[in-house]
Amino acid sequence: MNSSEATRASSASLRRDGGVRAIMLRSLLEIVRRPLYWIGFFVLPLFCFLFLANEMENGLPMRTPAAIVDLDRTSLSRTVEQNLNGMQLVQLDMACESFTEARKAMQEGKVFGVFVIPRGFQADLLSGRGPVIQFYTNMTYFVPANLLYKTFKTTALYTKAGVALKVLETAGANPEEAVPMLNPVSVVDRSLGNPSLNYGVYLCNSFIPGVVQLMIFLVTVFSLGQELKYGTSRRLMQMAHGSIIRALFGKLLPQTLIWLVVVFFMESWLFGWNGYPMNGSWFWITLSEVLFVLAAQGMAVFIFGVLPNLRLSLSVCALIGVLTFSIAAFSFPIQSMYGPISIFSWIVPVRYNFMIYINEALNGLGFYWSRWWFAAYMVFILLPFTLLWRIKKAMLNPVYVP
Amino acid sequence: MKKIFAWIRGLAAVYCNEFRLMLHDAGLMLFVTFLPLGYPVIYSLIYNPEIVREVATVVVDHDRTPMSREFVRKLDAAQGVWVKGYAADLHEAQRAMAGQDCFTIFEIPEGFQKRSGRGETAEAIMYCEMSLLLRYRACLVAATDVSQVMGAEIQTRDIQELGLGSIATTDPMPVNSVAMGNIKSGFDSFIMPGVLMLILQQCIVLVLGMRGGARHESPKLIGYDPINHDSSVVATMIGQMAAYFTIMFVPLMFLFHYVPLIFAFPMAGDPWEILAFMLPMVLASMCMGLCLQAFVWEREAVFVLWVVTSVIFLFLSGLTWPIYGMSPVWKALSAICPSTWGVEGFIRMNSNGASLAQVGDCYRNLWILAGGYFVLAWVLHRFVIRPTEPRAARA
Repeated sequence: MNSSEATRASSASLRRDGGVRAIMLRSLLEIVRRPLYWIGFFVLPLFCFLFLANEMENGLPMRTPAAIVDLDRTSLSRTVEQNLNGMQLVQLDMACESFTEARKAMQEGKVFGVFVIPRGFQADLLSGRGPVIQFYTNMTYFVPANLLYKTFKTTALYTKAGVALKVLETAGANPEEAVPMLNPVSVVDRSLGNPSLNYGVYLCNSFIPGVVQLMIFLVTVFSLGQELKYGTSRRLMQMAHGSIIRALFGKLLPQTLIWLVVVFFMESWLFGWNGYPMNGSWFWITLSEVLFVLAAQGMAVFIFGVLPNLRLSLSVCALIGVLTFSIAAFSFPIQSMYGPISIFSWIVPVRYNFMIYINEALNGLGFYWSRWWFAAYMVFILLPFTLLWRIKKAMLNPVYVP
Repeated sequence: MKKIFAWIRGLAAVYCNEFRLMLHDAGLMLFVTFLPLGYPVIYSLIYNPEIVREVATVVVDHDRTPMSREFVRKLDAAQGVWVKGYAADLHEAQRAMAGQDCFTIFEIPEGFQKRSGRGETAEAIMYCEMSLLLRYRACLVAATDVSQVMGAEIQTRDIQELGLGSIATTDPMPVNSVAMGNIKSGFDSFIMPGVLMLILQQCIVLVLGMRGGARHESPKLIGYDPINHDSSVVATMIGQMAAYFTIMFVPLMFLFHYVPLIFAFPMAGDPWEILAFMLPMVLASMCMGLCLQAFVWEREAVFVLWVVTSVIFLFLSGLTWPIYGMSPVWKALSAICPSTWGVEGFIRMNSNGASLAQVGDCYRNLWILAGGYFVLAWVLHRFVIRPTEPRAARA
């Protein structure tokens, strides 16, 4: 294959069709001809956009299945049960005879939490013997467990307050005096930017750009590696008149344009269609998305420069791209990670996309606060220029290592 | 009888051939060894601190009284909050938050102590930055605990001041919460058992998918002949599965038994029952991988096609967003993924200590999926893969 390529390359006709425009056309045709590229550019990213945002459409999962164990069976315990069942986030699917039965239901995945009213609850409460309300949440599922925890705790505290109020009144306190006494110190919770604790806002704004970054990594390296694998890189260099910059520019610019369309769609999908908070300036967010595409491509080319081998560089891109979802601290803050691990969160472009999203869209701060994150994009964009010589060498002497 | 022997010979031929291919393919070896051995360790290390502690906080105290200082001291002592300092006003605190020097602001309004002295509710305000829910949760828990502890002290004082000494000042109804399964409520212990199952499935599917891509490649380019020439479709499929099962057995054991052991994740289940549960999980993943082979025309294409599905499988598995909160379409889609049942069953056994009988639904569904994907894989191999194999010179 290499020899035939070389003979073709030597023909004079190729000199004429060389140049950046011809390379771009060649690159575009390659994309159009292979369904694999359609899947990489459009099908998978768009499916992820739709799927993630649609799954979390409701903001929070309502009606978490839970069990109640009422060992008391008095009017008071039934009132507690009714109050609990009236809460928006919980659905008392089961009434169990014993805690063991409820625990088994939890192990079978039927319920995510158990609320236990002890034997003699009403009698103990009214006579001041302090019956203990216990509730159990299955912390192996964080979201349902935390929602149940909140609901259980609120219900228990309301019950307690009701009882305390009654006791205070019977002891002779005025209702005006007694009510604040139930809640002497309170902390008002103002969650900035996402007051309804919408889970989609929290997850989609980080995971969806993460998906885009992964796909940019893979498609960029795949398309460059193909040239080496099939030995077509010599032809590419010939068309670029030996200039690696011209070759890469012509090869990657059509991809850049497609990715820009994808991220503009992403931006309007997130902040427009889904109505996620957008408290800052559209200009900076859009600029951030544009630079994000370039930075991700830059990093992919850099990885390809370090390992000019289709298989190895793709493996590294896949590894980094998937680890990004954890290491970029989308859910677990870097301040809580081990120091030597947390520094790696800064080596992926999507981290800066996330930081700019937080500053601009979520918190509505000015450009000033994001200036360093924009500067970081520049580093990624300039990164491949340090290894152009290696890529050029590999392109001129393509070797495929299986 | 002869036919049966020929079939078994074909199976053995495939089995041996697959080993030869594997050892010639550095990419495959990387996937069968590094992915299950190294990846889960890296992942677990990232989240290993488990709990979000000491979130940087700035206090704006307009009250400056002993009670407000007491409130701040208690807040600082709580696990979730670190009071980094005071700000003169809200504006200064906002600047600190914008520069990410703090993630929460506690504002104590003027008259905090006075209101409490008058028997009214003393209110403080917590402004929390909402980019990460774990941070918000840590601060909210700290704030709630502090307000309740201080509240109880004040309540006792008030009751005595009112001269209602006849009421017992102890808590009339203690409330006790217990975390089940993941008793530390740690993030690593929550997410990793599920992620282990996802890594297991993705690893198997990627390996088999990549193996399948080899058949379209020129043997000259990859340096070996990837086709199993004289074996029946079923023998080829079973031979491949058996070969990869053999080589991946130890790495997979490490994945679902030793990784939880190393990182002290909850391990309440019976190891032998978990091993038994893993069988259909591995088989279903393998059959899924055999199906993928029909769509992979080049070994490297599997990266572009399959790597990103890890995110999709994660969100379909119900680990982050529970299955009962999904729409019917996503529910149906999640039901046909081995990872969904693998994640659920493994978490219930490993973390909640369920027996194999208690995860019977997941176990049964995994066998159904294994069977279903096997049949699908047979159809794809028989009618898609076989006819396109470059040198289909068989009788």
